[in-house]
Amino acid sequence: MANETQLSSISANNFEQCLKCSICTVYCPVAAVNPKYPGPKQSGPDGARYRLKNPAFFDEALKMCLNCKRCEVACPNDVRIGDIIQKARIDYSTHKPSLRDTMLANTDFVGTMANIVAPVTNFALGLPITKSVLHSVMSIDKHRSFPKYSSTKFETWFKRNALKEQDAFKKHVSYFHGCYVNYNFPKLGQDLVKVMNAVGYGVHLLEKEKCCGVALISNGLIGQAKRQAQLNTDSIRKSVADDKRPVLTTSSTCTFTMRDEYPHLLGVDNADVRDGLTLATRFLFRLVDEGKIKLAFRPDYKLRVAYHTACHMQKMGWAIYSTELLKMIPGVEFTMLESQCCGIAGTYGFKRENYETSQAIGSSLFDNIKRVNPDVVATDCETCKWQIEMSTGYQVMNPISIIADALDVEKTIELNK
Amino acid sequence: MKFDSIIIGGGLSGLTAGIKLAKAGQKVALVAAGHSTLHFNSGSFDLLGHDEQGNAVANPTEAIAKLSAAHPYKKVADVAKLAGEAKQLLADAGLAVEGDAARNHYRLSPMGVAMPAWLTIGGYLTLDDPASIKYKNVAIVNINGYLDFPVAFVADALEKMGAKVAIKTISTPALEVARRSPSEMRATNIAKVLERDGQLEEAAQAINAVLSGEDAVLLPAVLGIADGNGVALLGNLVKTTVKFVATLPPSVPGVRTETLLRKRFEALGGTYIAGDRVKGGKFKGQHLASIETENLTGAELAADTFVLATGSFMSRGLSANYQRVWETAFNLDVDAAADRASWTSEDVFDAQPYQEFGVKTDDKLRVSLGGKTVDNFYAAGSVLSGHNSLKLADGTGVSMLTALQVANNILND
Repeated sequence: MANETQLSSISANNFEQCLKCSICTVYCPVAAVNPKYPGPKQSGPDGARYRLKNPAFFDEALKMCLNCKRCEVACPNDVRIGDIIQKARIDYSTHKPSLRDTMLANTDFVGTMANIVAPVTNFALGLPITKSVLHSVMSIDKHRSFPKYSSTKFETWFKRNALKEQDAFKKHVSYFHGCYVNYNFPKLGQDLVKVMNAVGYGVHLLEKEKCCGVALISNGLIGQAKRQAQLNTDSIRKSVADDKRPVLTTSSTCTFTMRDEYPHLLGVDNADVRDGLTLATRFLFRLVDEGKIKLAFRPDYKLRVAYHTACHMQKMGWAIYSTELLKMIPGVEFTMLESQCCGIAGTYGFKRENYETSQAIGSSLFDNIKRVNPDVVATDCETCKWQIEMSTGYQVMNPISIIADALDVEKTIELNK
Repeated sequence: MKFDSIIIGGGLSGLTAGIKLAKAGQKVALVAAGHSTLHFNSGSFDLLGHDEQGNAVANPTEAIAKLSAAHPYKKVADVAKLAGEAKQLLADAGLAVEGDAARNHYRLSPMGVAMPAWLTIGGYLTLDDPASIKYKNVAIVNINGYLDFPVAFVADALEKMGAKVAIKTISTPALEVARRSPSEMRATNIAKVLERDGQLEEAAQAINAVLSGEDAVLLPAVLGIADGNGVALLGNLVKTTVKFVATLPPSVPGVRTETLLRKRFEALGGTYIAGDRVKGGKFKGQHLASIETENLTGAELAADTFVLATGSFMSRGLSANYQRVWETAFNLDVDAAADRASWTSEDVFDAQPYQEFGVKTDDKLRVSLGGKTVDNFYAAGSVLSGHNSLKLADGTGVSMLTALQVANNILND
C-alpha cells in the first residue's frame, strides 16, 4: 500500500524526482554563456514547484532555453528537465508569437511560397539590403545566411522520377522527408532513395506529411503544432500499422520531436507506432548488423569525416548507428568530435537577440572542427549543418549522403538480390 | 553490435574498468545513465580513512589487511599493487595526483573538517596532520556572490590549527556578469568564465591586490574544469603560494576527473554511450548474452563479459521500497537484511546498516541471479555489498581497486 503511494506519486515530467544535485547546470550550454538565463535546475524542477503554487512565478526568461535536452542527458535521475521547461512555456507563457516567430515557425508555408519563386527568394535573401531589413524590422540576425530554397520540391522530384519504380521492390519503407529535404535540399531525399533501393527496399511518401512542428513548439504556436502532430501521427500509424511499412527519417530533430515531444509536450499519443518511426541510419545499421543486407563501397572513395553529435541525436542516443555505418566505409577516415551544442537550435540562432549567445555556445565546437580539419563534417541535423557551414566554412553532410556517394550501387544491388 | 566487454555505469569504477580493458586491447562499450557522483568529488581520493572501530588510519595498506571478511577489498588480490596501478591510471588520463597507499594525508572539507585521504589532485590543500597547518598567515579569498564555499567554517578550522586567517573577496568584470544569475553562480560556471582568454590574469591581479604578506592564499575549487593548466598558471601569477579547497557541488575537480577518464577511455577506442539506462538483459542459462537500454533496444549490445558498476542507492544502482531492497537493472541477488527495522539505526550519525547493502558477489566478484552465479557478469564499485564508505572513507578506493580487480579477472579468465 505504502509502496503504491510512493510509486504513483510521480508527475508527468517527474520534477519531484530531482535530487537537487545540480549536475544539469554543469552541462547547460546557455547558462555557461548567458547569465540572463536562470539555468536548467532553476527553470525546470525548482521552478515547477513554484509555478504549481502560483503561475505568476513563470519567468519569460525560460524562452532562452534551447531545448537541446543536454540537461536530460546529464541528469543521473532521469528527470525530464527540458520537457518541464518547454511545458511551462506552453502552459504559462502569455507572450504572443511575433510576425517573425510565426514566419520562422511556419516552414511549410514559407517553404512552399519560396519554392515557387526560388531563384528570386535565394537572390533576395542573399542581398545585404534584405538582410539589413530582416535584421532591423524582423529581428532576424543579419549575420545569418538563409538556407537556399530549391526550385523543385523533393515530393515533385519523387513523383516525376522515382515513384513508379518503387512498387517493384519486395520490401518497403515510408519516408518522412521533412521540410528541409522538401524545400531546401531534395538531394538528401534522393540519396536516401538511392541507398534504400540499392539494398532492396522500395521507398514511399506518407499519405500526408506536415512539418514535424519543432519550430512551432519553440515559437509558442501550440495549437498548430498539435494539429500537425496529430496529422503526422495518423499518417505514420497508417504506414506502420496498416501497410506494415516502417517510417524512415533523415533528420534527428524531426525524429526526436515526433517520437518524444508529441507525447511529452503536445499530449499526442504515439505509443503504438513510436518504434516504427526511426532514423534511416539506425534502420540500415540494424539490417547490416543482423546480416539481412550487405553494403558494398567503391574502392576509390576517400573522405576524412568528423562527426558532430546533434543535441537531439545525443538525447535519442543514436549517434552510434550513424557513426558505426560511416566507419564501415573503407575509404572513410573517421574522427568523433566532442559532443556539444552548436548553438543554432533550429530557429533560435536566427533571432537577433540570440545571435551572440548562439555563436558563443558553438565557438569551441568550431575551433575543434578547424583543429581536426576534415574534408567534411557529418551530422544528422540540418540546422547544425547551417550553423557549422556558416561558422566554419566546412561542408557538412548527412551520413546518408556520404553512404550514397561511397556506395557501389551495382554491386550492392547484386549482393542484396 | 558485439563487444568483448560492456560496462554498465559511467562513474569512477566503470571508467576505471573500461580504461583497463580497452588498454588491454578489448573492444569495450560503456553505458552511462547521466553523470556520476564524481560531481561531488572533493579533489581527493580515499583508500581507507578509518578502520572498522572508527580510528583514523595512518597506513591504509596495513589497515586493509585487518578488515572483516565481508569487505570488498578482501576480493582484491594485491591492494598495494592495484593502488599503484590506480594512481598511474589517473596520471595517464592527465590527472596528476599526489599521495601514497602506505601513508594517508589529510584534505580539508568545505565545512573545514580535516579528512583522511590517499591521493589529492595537484594544487589542492593537503595537511600532514589533521591538527596543524604549515602556513602561519593565510588569506582565504572567495569570489563575490559565490555562495557554495562556507568561508567562516574554513577560517574557523584554520584558526584552530594555529594559523592567522584573513577573509577577502575578489571579483572581475566577467565574474560580475556571471553573477547576474545567482542560481548559476556555481563552481563549474565560474571555472568556465575563468578559462576564457585573459580572465585568469585578471583574477590573479585581483587576488594580488587584496594580499598583504600572507604566506598562502586559499581559494575555493573554481578553476581547472578541463585540465590542470589554469591551476598551474594561477600559481605562477599570484605572488604567494596558492592552494584550492573543495566547494559544495557541482565539483570542478570531479568534472575534470570524469571528463579526463571518459576522454582517455574513448582515446583507447572505447565506445561511450551517454544518457542511457540499462533495462535488463537476455540470459542464456548462467550466462548474460546481451543487454537492452532505453535507447538501444533489441539485441544490439552483446558481449562476452559484462561489468555492473551502477553505484549504490544514490546513483540508482540499488533501490528500496518499504518491503525490500533490489538491484535495479537485472534484479540480481543482493546482500540486504530482510527485516526492515534493521536497515537503519536511530541516530542519524551512527553507521547506517543499509549503507552496507549491495549486490552479492563470489570471490571473483561475479554477481548471482536467483541464487546462481552468472559466469560472465562482474560487479565493481559502490554497488558491491560489505562496507560503509561514509564511515570507512574507502569509497573511491573500493571503486577503483575492485574495478581493476574485475578487469584482471576478465583478462585472466
